[in-house]
Amino acid sequence: MASLPKRIIKRLVSDPVPGITAEPHEDNLRYFQVTIEGPQQSPYENGVFHLELFLPDDYPMEAPKVRFLTKIYHPNIDRLGRICLDVLKTNWSPALQIRTVLLSIQALLASPNPNDPLANDVAEDWIQNEDGAIATAREWTKRYAKPN
Amino acid sequence: MSPRPEYVSDSDSGLDVFSECHSFEEPSSTNIEILSDDSEFDFSSGDYSEEEDARIENATSELESGSLLKGSKSGKLEPLGPPKLNYGCLTTDQIYQIMLSRLKALEPVLNRTPEDIIVLLQKFGWNEERLLECWTDDDNGVLISCGLKPKDDIKCERGIKEVRDFVCPICCESGQTEAFSLECGHEYCLDCHRHYIQDKLGEGKIITCMSCPLALRNHDIDVLTGTNSSQKLMLSSMKSFIQKHSSHYKWCPFVDCNYVIQIGNISCLSEFPRFHASPYVICDNMHKFCFRCSLESHDPGDCKVADQWVKTAQVESANLNWVLKNTKECPKCGVNIEKNGGCNHMTCKSCLFEFCWICERQWADHGGSYFECTRFKKEDKNDPQESKSTLRKYTFYYRLFSEHENSAKLDWKLGQTVEQKVRALQETTGLSWIETQFLPESIRVLIEGRTTLKWSFPVAFYSDASHNLTKIFVDNQLLLVTAVEDLSQLLQIKEPRKIVEKKLEFFNKSQFVKSRERALIECGRDLLCKGICCPQK
Repeated sequence: MASLPKRIIKRLVSDPVPGITAEPHEDNLRYFQVTIEGPQQSPYENGVFHLELFLPDDYPMEAPKVRFLTKIYHPNIDRLGRICLDVLKTNWSPALQIRTVLLSIQALLASPNPNDPLANDVAEDWIQNEDGAIATAREWTKRYAKPN
Repeated sequence: MSPRPEYVSDSDSGLDVFSECHSFEEPSSTNIEILSDDSEFDFSSGDYSEEEDARIENATSELESGSLLKGSKSGKLEPLGPPKLNYGCLTTDQIYQIMLSRLKALEPVLNRTPEDIIVLLQKFGWNEERLLECWTDDDNGVLISCGLKPKDDIKCERGIKEVRDFVCPICCESGQTEAFSLECGHEYCLDCHRHYIQDKLGEGKIITCMSCPLALRNHDIDVLTGTNSSQKLMLSSMKSFIQKHSSHYKWCPFVDCNYVIQIGNISCLSEFPRFHASPYVICDNMHKFCFRCSLESHDPGDCKVADQWVKTAQVESANLNWVLKNTKECPKCGVNIEKNGGCNHMTCKSCLFEFCWICERQWADHGGSYFECTRFKKEDKNDPQESKSTLRKYTFYYRLFSEHENSAKLDWKLGQTVEQKVRALQETTGLSWIETQFLPESIRVLIEGRTTLKWSFPVAFYSDASHNLTKIFVDNQLLLVTAVEDLSQLLQIKEPRKIVEKKLEFFNKSQFVKSRERALIECGRDLLCKGICCPQK
């Protein structure tokens, strides 16, 4: 198995994705600081969200661990920033990459799925009063996800 | 019931196809031949045909004649008891053969290779019925969902291929010469594939290509890992097979025992509760267990009593359990005593006080063969509160239950060393092997007697103590305790010559335990049938 940096450098530097950045930490190459721009035409538009990403020892056999650092109002992301996403759990495959995972997270922001919730209260709000929930999400984005 | 496929008459040809993809050993016992060429797979997993019954009956009677202890005990006890259970004991290899034979039966229907059918069945959790349903609805869809057919066109051949200067997209290692892919053409290096497969083998699910849902077949897995790793996958498959068909098959619940019991006439299982009896089966390791609740033999209680008792024990006895497990103090001098043998007659090493381990009273007070210690006295102490006394009553019975459980465990250990004893007997006394068999036989009787005794305490606990029959039951208990303790004491003898001298005593005491045990079980069943013992209370 190749050394970790090789894989990371090849993957990240060679093919950057617009709206997503990921930088390895100076002290720990397995720890990444990630930013994702909110997708257009979503309640998260114009927001910049900070995330942390950690590559476990068994990576790429095991999925990377990702967590939102910025507060976000989303039915599939809980108060601690944990994300309910299939590719991070059961559907992880070694053929997936950091960038595909981050793209999936961006897609999750564009299309929240309140029927498979992680944050139950948010999901309930989303189902019962979608307009209100979207307004809250917009407000949170404005308040917490300010671009620097 | 499905039509009988023609090819089955030739049962060997089908297996040849498998010889390259599995490496389980050929079935060794005669039993398996009877069971595995069973061509009619019964989709409803309901009743087996009569023919099958007869076959299994054959197998069972063969087993019965071959060993000391086969057959259903419950059938012998009373003429009006539950029907006789027909069952066979299978090894994992034999189960695998049964799986293969059921799979073979699907071959003409599905018209796929056996390897493909393994994948299909894995996906459907060995539920043939549902597989066939979905298959008739949309066979193409089933193939795609199981990863047996690429969605798009076939891009390349499956297998290991030589690629010049291959860079694996997963580990990014360059300069490799070999890669593996399925028809989808997602090529990765062998190392990455191996890691991936090792990771997935334990999950027991279909292993797919790392980039698409296309399935790796057993052959691919073996080629990639260079060993027959697919066996491991098949073992977890076997678990789901047995789970799916749990009305017919059960794993032996004893630790480290890999036998599976197959019941032939499952329709008669429903007869048992009416007689307050349980469908006991015995595996080839002589483990006796209840086919319904997978507990050890719990006579004289029925499954309801056992279930209720176990549940109560889990809730109430977490503390009690470890308190009782530890040592006891000598009632006279207070020195800590650990019990390391099966007999309840204790002699304190420091003050030479003789006492009964259970009631901690002087041994002589038991009055010869009569033991007071299984009789719980209601009016023992002034205790006005009902709930408190229930707990006390429970604690009392639970204590007895766990005492005998521990003793049975020690007896079991004693049984492990019996082989040596038998050999020593043969060497020192010149007896033949068959003449020494009374020793293991008595240990077996002892363990069974203790297990029965153990499970008689839940029955006593749930019974109406004021009823006459309960009193008779308790008396029967006492008699069995005496018999068991006597036999246990006899089995403590270590010197070969003495053992031989007492051979007749071994016989007599074993027989006595057996007859007392039978009487207790009958009495317990009486209590249950007449509603005097009622676990719901």
